[in-house]
Amino acid sequence: MDIAFLIESAVKVLIVFGFVLIGVPLIVWMERKVIGHMQDRIGPQRVGPFGLLQTIADGIKLFFKEDLIPAQADRAVFILAPALPVITAFLALSVIPFGDTVEVFGRQVPLQVTDVNIAVLWILATTSMGVYGIVLGGWASNSKYPLLGGLRSSAQMISYELAQGISLVSVILMTGTLSLASIVKQQQTLWFIVPQFFAFVIYILCGIAETNRAPFDLAEAETELVAGFHTEFSSMKFALYFLAEYANMMVVSGIAISVFFGGWQGPFLPPVVWFLIKLSLFLFFYVWLRATFPRLRYDQLMAFGWKVLLPASLLNLTVTAVVVALSGAR
Amino acid sequence: MTEAVLFALFSVSAIVFAFNVVFRKNPVHCALFLVCVLLSLSGMFILLNAAFIAAIQILIYAGAIMVLFLFVVMLLNVKGETPLLTPGAAKGFGFFFAVIAFAELLWTVLTRGGAEGTPEQAVALPPGFGSPAEIGRVLYTTWLFPFEVTSILLLVAVIGAVVLAKRKFL
Repeated sequence: MDIAFLIESAVKVLIVFGFVLIGVPLIVWMERKVIGHMQDRIGPQRVGPFGLLQTIADGIKLFFKEDLIPAQADRAVFILAPALPVITAFLALSVIPFGDTVEVFGRQVPLQVTDVNIAVLWILATTSMGVYGIVLGGWASNSKYPLLGGLRSSAQMISYELAQGISLVSVILMTGTLSLASIVKQQQTLWFIVPQFFAFVIYILCGIAETNRAPFDLAEAETELVAGFHTEFSSMKFALYFLAEYANMMVVSGIAISVFFGGWQGPFLPPVVWFLIKLSLFLFFYVWLRATFPRLRYDQLMAFGWKVLLPASLLNLTVTAVVVALSGAR
Repeated sequence: MTEAVLFALFSVSAIVFAFNVVFRKNPVHCALFLVCVLLSLSGMFILLNAAFIAAIQILIYAGAIMVLFLFVVMLLNVKGETPLLTPGAAKGFGFFFAVIAFAELLWTVLTRGGAEGTPEQAVALPPGFGSPAEIGRVLYTTWLFPFEVTSILLLVAVIGAVVLAKRKFL
């Protein structure tokens, strides 16, 4: 472990960190603008050109708001809870490759914070830890709507995690590796969306449910639960939950790109630009879904996860396994 | 050197968190400290060259089973512990079992410690040790029978839980 390696890692961590902190306000702006136009409104337009600085203004407002902790809340857990989903989102982002290996000062630097050989498992593990932020936030508030929201979302996330993991396993069977960097490299000729279309559909549905986004945003169903698990959170604690939600959208999109859409690979343009283009398209897709579909009912949500997605993912895995075994690839 | 520091970090934190699991009054706090113990243990697994086990430890135990634990604790809304034994009896039992466990560990260390050779010899691992492929191969060849029996056991547990939950009377 030499000094150059330490510097290289620190720079990469800072780049990813900065990218998320700058990217999230942009996504929020994009979401408000796109949904505005889809609903025949204009969206934010007063602060800065095209309303671009609106989210910055909102962020500053949240920063200076009073930080309330309910009298009956569990103080330690209440303070800890909003930080957890942010931490797990950053941990998951650390294994997503956003470019090819480049040469900087004579060193081969892979554009990825770290290429662990169990990257896919690492991502599943960190996202499964993300549930704690929501379930603890709901519990620590010591209030009925947050608790209901927290319990709902923990049940939802555990149910959808299974199908999500299994849909990724079918790709792993094809590639024979758990490292995201080599999964990306194996898609030079053919993106895995083609042979594994069903796995992708299952993965992205589960990914939307994992990030608690519409139409699966039961955890914060405002018509029935006030605001769900973050009802009692104000100021920067609320902002952290907000940040985590959008950072997790980036994680889900980043994995979908790396596993099914050839990662950073593409013709003519540099790899990093391709990654950013694909990421933007995915985030637009998220917003598009939110503007299009009404929220599911809770029992529909659970039935869909357990009775449709899980069997479908198992079937897909079985078929993939048979094909891989018969073709004698490995 | 780095490994020694990390080992000290993970083992000390595991012990401190484990003490908290036992001594905290609030069941939710206990469950959270147990999650921390599991995370420290997964760090130890990585140091032992078993990255797959470490990831599974977080994914299954910390990420799924402990969430369900928390789920139950929250739904039951347990406020503090209700003591099962009188404080004196609890202390007696605790001391008794602690002495047995300590003696057992001491015996293991004393009898097995020197027999395996130096640490350098113990480090020589077969190629691919701890990799997902190797674990899968071993599970489906050498340990196929225990593996299948375990899966049937889990299936029975799942069906049993459904049957009990569906029953109208108890």
